[in-house]
Amino acid sequence: MHKTTGLLMALLIVAGAPALGAEMKYPDFEAQWRNPTAGRGGNPWDTTKPMGLGQEPPLTPEYQAIFEASVREQKKGGQGNSRGSTCILPGMPKVMNFSEPMEIIIRPHITYFVPMRYPTRRIYTDGRAWAKDEQPTFGGTSIGRWIDLDGDGRYDALEVETRNFKGPRVFESSGLPLHADNQTVVKEHIYLDNNDKNVLHDEITTIDHALTRPWTVDRTYLREPIPYWMEKNCYEANQHVLIGAEEYFVSADGKLMPVRSGQPPPDLSYFSEPRR
Amino acid sequence: MPARSALTAIALAVAMLALAPAIAQTYPDFESQWRSGGDGDAWDPAKPAGLAQQAPLTAEYQAIFEASLKDQAAGRRGNNYRSSCVLDGMPRLMSLTAPMEILIQPGLTFFIFQEAFARRIHTDGKPMPDSEPPSFQGYSTGRWIDAHGDGRYDVFEIETRNFKGPRAMDSTGLPLHKDNETVVRERLYLDKTNTDRLHNEITTIDHAFTRPWTVTKTYVRERNPRWREYNCQIAPGAVFIGLDEYRLSPDGKLKPLYEGQPPPDLGYFKQR
Repeated sequence: MHKTTGLLMALLIVAGAPALGAEMKYPDFEAQWRNPTAGRGGNPWDTTKPMGLGQEPPLTPEYQAIFEASVREQKKGGQGNSRGSTCILPGMPKVMNFSEPMEIIIRPHITYFVPMRYPTRRIYTDGRAWAKDEQPTFGGTSIGRWIDLDGDGRYDALEVETRNFKGPRVFESSGLPLHADNQTVVKEHIYLDNNDKNVLHDEITTIDHALTRPWTVDRTYLREPIPYWMEKNCYEANQHVLIGAEEYFVSADGKLMPVRSGQPPPDLSYFSEPRR
Repeated sequence: MPARSALTAIALAVAMLALAPAIAQTYPDFESQWRSGGDGDAWDPAKPAGLAQQAPLTAEYQAIFEASLKDQAAGRRGNNYRSSCVLDGMPRLMSLTAPMEILIQPGLTFFIFQEAFARRIHTDGKPMPDSEPPSFQGYSTGRWIDAHGDGRYDVFEIETRNFKGPRAMDSTGLPLHKDNETVVRERLYLDKTNTDRLHNEITTIDHAFTRPWTVTKTYVRERNPRWREYNCQIAPGAVFIGLDEYRLSPDGKLKPLYEGQPPPDLGYFKQR
């Protein structure tokens, strides 16, 4: 009897190790998630409205003018405020538009958002305070907390606040701008849909000096039952080349191409060798 | 006796619970930030970089390697394409010139790099999908090994295939074969006397080599991890057209990187 009790005690200690208990507390977020609208000709920040001016963002007059100038420039074939062609990181909050799938991994102290081609986003849930010596980044620093909304002992939502940015950053590729002071604060409330656990909501509120009020959008992501990953290097995929002020394309066979009809070739007067 | 049976039943139930896929109880203590235990990125950390690596290259690839070293000695990049933001790929990635974090899930282990895309090692026993496109990192399948039979995994074995290139073993441009039929086998385990050290025995099988080449890299656990946001950006003044590198002159014109460099092909332009 004594021997059996000892065995039982030992097993209870093993079973009570933190990993198992901790795993059970979290909602079923660990999966690959996709944006259902990505790759369908644009990725508007507010998914209920068309991209560009149709977003009707609450911009200050100064930033509305910057936005309209960007849209005009893009209509002429330029990049406007969108710097994707230079392979600059999108940063927050744009990275949460999930232009490509993202995987969520939960550990007690950190929740990881692992995207296909951008730096991994770490959301610290260990109760830490904002670090004073952290370098500003495009992704910012994220601190989160898990919430048990219905008091059933299981977390339902992850609340995240992200600060400490550098720029330039935009909301979407139309060049919808964030303020140049980079004092953005992004608040997120992430939870599974009540009716469909394969739908994840991210209510994202952006507070920024380019905006007249906090701007909240509800982005939804779909769980991917058969995850698929692709190695996607911005520079490899990037076919834009800037030589001085002139932009060119690089063809699939690695040769320089004009971006517009009648565009002159670059000046090669520094080359003494014959052309290949 | 009935009381004893009940206790045994409870014990069995608890034992089953304990054997559930609880990460901390099954897998070794790999989940951490790891940094390279050495300096530089010479592929064999026990030898100096360059020719002193005594890489088992075929005569053809030894000549390619020596040409890369000469090119670099002249201030160019040789076979090292990192300056044009071409991905390092495998196996070079595992030199850990910047920190890496390991996260273990039952069917998938993640190697999350500060300066590269996350590496996914599939441990669900499934073969590589036929539709998998080749990549610089390749496709990795792994298996956990309980070397001591104590119910806890000790070793992680990985095989990686399905590559594209160009890839080099290190920054000297030590080449891999352009057929990209490389196979990389890794065996990771914690040091027996210091579990803050992780060893990775890496064997590279490649047609540029006369035999499989095995080196052991050692990574050091970082208990207070800090991360830097990394974004590969081409150096100011550098212009890449495909894999060819040029320079931008102060007057905004394209100029050769080195004396005698031919200009880019302008065959797509009508006005010349």
